[in-house]
Amino acid sequence: MLLRTLTSLLSSGARVDTGDGFWLPPQASTYSQGIDWVFYFIYWICVFFFVLIVALMILFVWKYRRTSVTHQAGETVTHHTPLELTWTIIPLILVIAIFWIGLDGYVDMIRPPANAYEVNVVAQRWNWSFEHRNGAQDSQILKVPAGRPVKLVMTSQDVLHALFIPAFRAKQDVVPGRYTTLWFEAKEPGLYQLFCAEYCGTQHSQMGATVAVYPPDEFDEIIAKDARWLDNYTDENLYQAGLRIFARCSSCHSLQEEVRLTGPSFWDVHDDFGKKRLMEGDYEADIDENYIQDSILNPQKDIVATYQGVMPTFQGALKPREVRAMVEFLKRLDEVVDRQGNPIE
Amino acid sequence: MTTLESTPPTPAATNYLTHTRGFLSWAFTLDHKRIGVMYLVSVLSSFLVGGIFALLVRTELIAPGETIMGQDAYNKAFTLHGAIMVFLVIIPSVPAALGNFVLPIMLGAKDVAFPRLNLFSYYLWVFGAFFLVAAIFQGGLDTGWTFYAPYSTEDARSGVILATTGVFILGFSSIFTGLNFIVTIHRLRPPGMTWFRMPLFLWSIYATALIQVLATPVLGITLLLLIVERVMKVGIFDPALGGDPVLYQHFFWFYSHPAVYIMILPGMGIISELISVHSHKHIFGYKFIAFSSVAIAIFGFLVWGHHMFTSGQSGLMNAVFSAITFSVSIPSAIKVFNWLATMYKGSISLNTPMLYALSFLFIFSIGGLTGIFHGTLATTIHLHDTYFVVAHFHYVMMGSALIAMIGGLHHWWPKMTGRMYSETLGRIGCIIVFVGFNVTFFTQFMLGSKGMPRRYHDYAGETWSPELTELFHTYHFISTLGSYLMAAGFFLTAGYLLHSLVKGRKAPSNPWGGRSLEWQCTSPPPHDNFSSAPTVGDCYDYSVLEWDDAEGGYRWREDVPHPV
Repeated sequence: MLLRTLTSLLSSGARVDTGDGFWLPPQASTYSQGIDWVFYFIYWICVFFFVLIVALMILFVWKYRRTSVTHQAGETVTHHTPLELTWTIIPLILVIAIFWIGLDGYVDMIRPPANAYEVNVVAQRWNWSFEHRNGAQDSQILKVPAGRPVKLVMTSQDVLHALFIPAFRAKQDVVPGRYTTLWFEAKEPGLYQLFCAEYCGTQHSQMGATVAVYPPDEFDEIIAKDARWLDNYTDENLYQAGLRIFARCSSCHSLQEEVRLTGPSFWDVHDDFGKKRLMEGDYEADIDENYIQDSILNPQKDIVATYQGVMPTFQGALKPREVRAMVEFLKRLDEVVDRQGNPIE
Repeated sequence: MTTLESTPPTPAATNYLTHTRGFLSWAFTLDHKRIGVMYLVSVLSSFLVGGIFALLVRTELIAPGETIMGQDAYNKAFTLHGAIMVFLVIIPSVPAALGNFVLPIMLGAKDVAFPRLNLFSYYLWVFGAFFLVAAIFQGGLDTGWTFYAPYSTEDARSGVILATTGVFILGFSSIFTGLNFIVTIHRLRPPGMTWFRMPLFLWSIYATALIQVLATPVLGITLLLLIVERVMKVGIFDPALGGDPVLYQHFFWFYSHPAVYIMILPGMGIISELISVHSHKHIFGYKFIAFSSVAIAIFGFLVWGHHMFTSGQSGLMNAVFSAITFSVSIPSAIKVFNWLATMYKGSISLNTPMLYALSFLFIFSIGGLTGIFHGTLATTIHLHDTYFVVAHFHYVMMGSALIAMIGGLHHWWPKMTGRMYSETLGRIGCIIVFVGFNVTFFTQFMLGSKGMPRRYHDYAGETWSPELTELFHTYHFISTLGSYLMAAGFFLTAGYLLHSLVKGRKAPSNPWGGRSLEWQCTSPPPHDNFSSAPTVGDCYDYSVLEWDDAEGGYRWREDVPHPV
């Protein structure tokens, strides 16, 4: 669903390319070609040695098979130092060479060019948040320009994660309590898959995102528009802005009435609005504007019975106006989407 | 040279199985052979449990979407599969189970140096396993077998304390076994068995024991720190308390990388025996093989950082660890070429153990060579934490270490049980396991290189591009079918082995034509192994043996004078 909406954003109408052949995704970043060269260099060395070993093994098994119980080994040499040194030294030279070209390729990957476009990345179970310098912010979509180096400055709010874009050959752990960086330069506009590669719990396999690579001009335009997107809404129609902010909630909440993920469906909250609900700890609380705001900014305060208090706080992650938009959105959910989660036009 | 006089005069009269009877005679036994058998039964039972979890994991992945279990159940299943297979199966399989049985007999000794410590190790294993299993019932464990912080130190992970306590105890079992073997090899070698006359299996067990004794305490300390952090909220690994999660990884891999060699080295030792005995030819390049085991043990301590290439450690550290990592590949390469040279101009019988040894050569070549992609910095970044790694370490830990263990089990089965299994079924079982294994895991190399991350419950959903889902589905489907085939092979193997206990032909003393000392006691060996310490010659010189039709095994040649 996400990808379909994205495709309309991109003039090319791109699909995610899975690459040809048995090995490796397409080469979509500037350094991926060099990495693949190293990969195939090692690959053919491995094929050579593997075929050599297995061929000799089969040949010997066939040629020197035991024909009878009195059959004796035809060779009694028990060691041959020059020969053994040969098969010590040749692999040694090869691995030194492989180490060297591997190091050479790696140095390119860890040195971002000085003029790189910076994006802040915050990982939080099971969601990625991408923050641009001008204030534009996305989750589940990393928007970057083609043909310009991009540097990601990343940190985690909870446990270890890793940002992995296979088509770019780029991967870096995202660690709580420190910043790690990653850079790449996408060659062509298009859509690429982004994964979380470090195990982070329940929805690890759903902690993905799409990398949308735009032509540079279009990118500048889109990011500028993104930064001001909330200004397009007046106080009267602010509730409609919630649908877009919802992307950041969608890994744990659903807009379908029947679908309960880690957290409640938003329809449950909407339908209970103005009523009392039983909370964990056996007390009742009003479901009102304050309750919704607290659930976003201080989620451990009141936890509805039968749910676990696993929601992280969005204090600082959402601007006050965005929080207001969410409160209005939940109150007036029936004006925005139907009970299957489809937008009402 | 070896004496036949050293074996007891009436071979069949009594053996270690019939020496004493009753449950308590096993529960309190100090006999290394019985302890070895108890380990074997425990390890193989754990293998069954770990294998069932593996099949659950593979079945969940057969199709996109939820197939048989939800996300949390899947995370518990792969964690338990990993933890059980590593800590309860592979690490103790060769040293504690086969090593316990074979090592003292190979040395011509009556027992290990410390028989009581040996029994204590076994009960520590049982105790540790109990804690690990308790973690399952207590609500499960979903951290992965690596227990990475700060995920593992969160309050919600209630199984972690039990499980790490279990692993901590299992660690001591491993340390005591290693210590016991080191002392046994130093002190109990018979007259004439110099270091360079020991069977290569003993060299590999010795190198392994060094790692066990030196590396396992670090794991113990690390897990203890984890427990301290969880219970007392002292900030060690959790940044929220002022700790550093990358420090945990350093501590953990400082043990767990050498532990990889605890798993593979004894397997390599078995292969050296199997290939030489079943090729009826002297091992080629004894000293190179022996020293390569020691070299692997030493280098193994210096390469832990290659598990952390994307962890955020500096580029310089990555470069250093990459360079040292390659040093491990050389001794492994030496062994492979020496094994091939051993087969050259030999007299190769394709018995079941030899088929396993050949499977090992095939699989280990792939497992070892694909390690190069992971040691090379440019390629490892892309492949890290994908199925390419999963495939690689299954080729090494399962396809090599465990296949070698099963090969060794078939090799020494007649000695341990006194029964021969069906050769035909043995060969069929080996081929099914071999094919199933490669179908399961070779596809995972392609899957990983295309970008499929490991430890994923699913490969479809809101954030997934449908093109990737479709591609990954094909590979996952084939891989799961392969795992079913492999399981069928293992069940067949279990079937004929159990059947042989009841209906198997009685085993001769020396069914394969082995020259090391264990083939000179009866099958099964008597309680004391040897009545007096035997003297030994070249344990790879097979020219003194000949086939004896009456016994269905090999015996000392009539025309070669018995050594005194």
